[in-house]
Amino acid sequence: MSGFRQERLAALRAKIAGLEAGARPGAGTLPFGDSRIDDSFLGQGLPLGQWHEFVGEGMEIETGAAPAAFAALTAAPLARLGEAVWILRRDDLFAPGLAGLGFPAERLIQVCARDEAEALAVAEDALATEGVSAVFAEVEMVDLVAGRRLQLACEKRGATGFMIRRMPYGGAGRSAATGSAAATRWRISSAPSVPGPGEFGLGAPRWQVNLDRCRAGRPGTWLMEAINAYSYEANHGTHPLRLVAPLGDRQLAPTTPLRLAG
Amino acid sequence: MRVLAESPPSIGRSLPLTLPPPRKRGEELERHSTKRDGPPPFALITTIRGVRVLSAVDQAAVLAGLRVGQKATDAKALCPELEAAEAEPEADDAALIALGDWCVRFSPAVASDAPDGLFLDVGGVAHLWGGEESLLSDLRARLAANGLNFRLAIADTPGAAWALAHYGRGPEIIASPGEQAALLADLPPEALRLDAETAAQIGRLGLRRIGQLAELPRAPLARRFGAVTLERLDQALGRSKEALAFRRPPNPWFARLAFAEPISAPDDMARVSFDVAVKLCARLETEGQGGRRFHLAFHGVDGQARPLTIGLALAGRDPTRIAKLFAPKLETVDPGFGIEVVTLAAEDVEPLAGRQVRLDSLLDPDLGLAPLIDRLVNRLGPERVWRTVPVASHIPEQSAAPAPPLSAPLAGVGWDPEQPRPLRLFRKPERLEGVMALTPDDPPRQFLWRRRTHRIRLAEGPERIGAEWWRVAIETVRTDQIRDYYRVEDQDGARFWVFREGLYGLEKPTKWWLHGVFG
Repeated sequence: MSGFRQERLAALRAKIAGLEAGARPGAGTLPFGDSRIDDSFLGQGLPLGQWHEFVGEGMEIETGAAPAAFAALTAAPLARLGEAVWILRRDDLFAPGLAGLGFPAERLIQVCARDEAEALAVAEDALATEGVSAVFAEVEMVDLVAGRRLQLACEKRGATGFMIRRMPYGGAGRSAATGSAAATRWRISSAPSVPGPGEFGLGAPRWQVNLDRCRAGRPGTWLMEAINAYSYEANHGTHPLRLVAPLGDRQLAPTTPLRLAG
Repeated sequence: MRVLAESPPSIGRSLPLTLPPPRKRGEELERHSTKRDGPPPFALITTIRGVRVLSAVDQAAVLAGLRVGQKATDAKALCPELEAAEAEPEADDAALIALGDWCVRFSPAVASDAPDGLFLDVGGVAHLWGGEESLLSDLRARLAANGLNFRLAIADTPGAAWALAHYGRGPEIIASPGEQAALLADLPPEALRLDAETAAQIGRLGLRRIGQLAELPRAPLARRFGAVTLERLDQALGRSKEALAFRRPPNPWFARLAFAEPISAPDDMARVSFDVAVKLCARLETEGQGGRRFHLAFHGVDGQARPLTIGLALAGRDPTRIAKLFAPKLETVDPGFGIEVVTLAAEDVEPLAGRQVRLDSLLDPDLGLAPLIDRLVNRLGPERVWRTVPVASHIPEQSAAPAPPLSAPLAGVGWDPEQPRPLRLFRKPERLEGVMALTPDDPPRQFLWRRRTHRIRLAEGPERIGAEWWRVAIETVRTDQIRDYYRVEDQDGARFWVFREGLYGLEKPTKWWLHGVFG
């Protein structure tokens, strides 16, 4: 009798732990393939079945190119598994550019929303749809209520949301909500590329990646590079992002000049 | 074919019922009748070749001795209390079309017979009212309730129905199948829809009845009065066919629900839209068809039709899905005093084999990708949901084209990954100011864009992209339509796609443009 009781208690505890972590049980994670970044997360990789926030800085608040590129590459393995939906407010996403970075843009469904509320509503609808694995949305801000709704939609089918914060028509970026429902918040900016020895032109695209907030994880700062960009020899097996260098302590990161590996 | 013709009686023959054209009935006559015991004579006036003449008169005016075609000054002299208004033929046409839309509740095939009549093909629908008599009296009662005193006739041919409605005795005439010849025989030749001149000529020869005309030998008849006369006679008697231009082509994929009591609650409207979808989809299912567009119409007691339309990405016949797509639009429908009839029509119907449903999708049929696309397309519009497909073109803007989201991907065409393209491509390239380059052929070393100076660290290019000269006449090709694209990176790592317009020449300064940003 007590054995049965113990078993029931253990099962309930496991269930409660799962609820506290805020994830749909069994949604899994998406590892970057490098322990230096995967160790920051509880499950050794970007948690799936939740939504993540990507913000840019400076010029990127309006163009939103670097956060979009980084989010697309992070989600590329996911987009190969199911359908991906990209919700825009300003129709300037150029699919050949995404394809060149190594994102399967041929199957991407693009939706141009008329306003902020509609973009969030479409994102919620897409996240709750069977067969959709990744949803990208370019929105100005996700407040607490919208964030909670997105989270519930993510939990329905285990889809993962990638919210790219962008002021599509200019203006000052709104300040980040203090308490966000996002699982992680990333701050992305372009970093100078380094051409290979004896090569002309630009090197592979690089980004300085700041993981500012991470639920049940550790923030960090890294320098990352797209390994499959602009080449026919794209290897779809590995993660399209490569860690170039960890950028040391988070507090020091903004003042530390970039140290480039290799 | 059984045709019902509706027509206001021809004015000029003193019939018991006369009325002005549809537009004036409601407002004008009612207003007059409430003010006085007997309304004053009322007429509409139009200008024909500089002369003001009466174009329509009401019953009181007929009794006062006025007729259509009379000069307005004569009429005023004859009947000083005459009230007149300007005729508005466009408004009359619009009113007739609105009436035709309303008549869809009686028959799906309605043709308008300008200026003042309607044809309804009631073949195969009369039994729904329990016979043609009941159909006629129902239609008549409903028209009368709206202040419309139409004359109605049912016959085998449009010509016969028209003749009986305009010249027959009595406001409701039904010619039994095959018997219109006897009824037509006593009518004047004008009832054959002839022009005034021909009718007058026939009258001068002493032919007062269609019966006399029909007894004449055919060849001399055609020679004397024209082939049109013979054609009209044949059409009326059913010896030759007549095509009516139905306002809406009869759609076989049509379902209708009528209610004993008018409904207006939003829940009821959602329920009946599902019920009518079930009815139509059952038919689509048995015939192995699916529709891509569905038109739902709520017909209110006020005679207005309230149409709603949805489209599907893939042909379908799932009533739950269709009703769900209509659901968000129902709140835009104002039921007014209530909805009596709801109709649903399917368009773009195509064969849809009973598809094998996946085992996992059995659980919840409206969670797949196609329903999502349908919801988005119906909420945002078809131009706002797309999938980008490659197009074989060198011009960056034309190398990617939007396609319907569920279209099959094109084989053999793809983007060249070794030609880097920006993640954000501006619809209009933005002019770069303050461009400094080492030599005119070099990529820029520094430029000003959006009030910020960008110092270029690395650059690659040029990638020369010109107009597609093989698509146009060779004379129109110009060398200044060439763009030299460079991919550049500034001191902060921001990557841009800039181009120099035209070939370098001394005669004009080089222009630089920013076309996109890489992530």
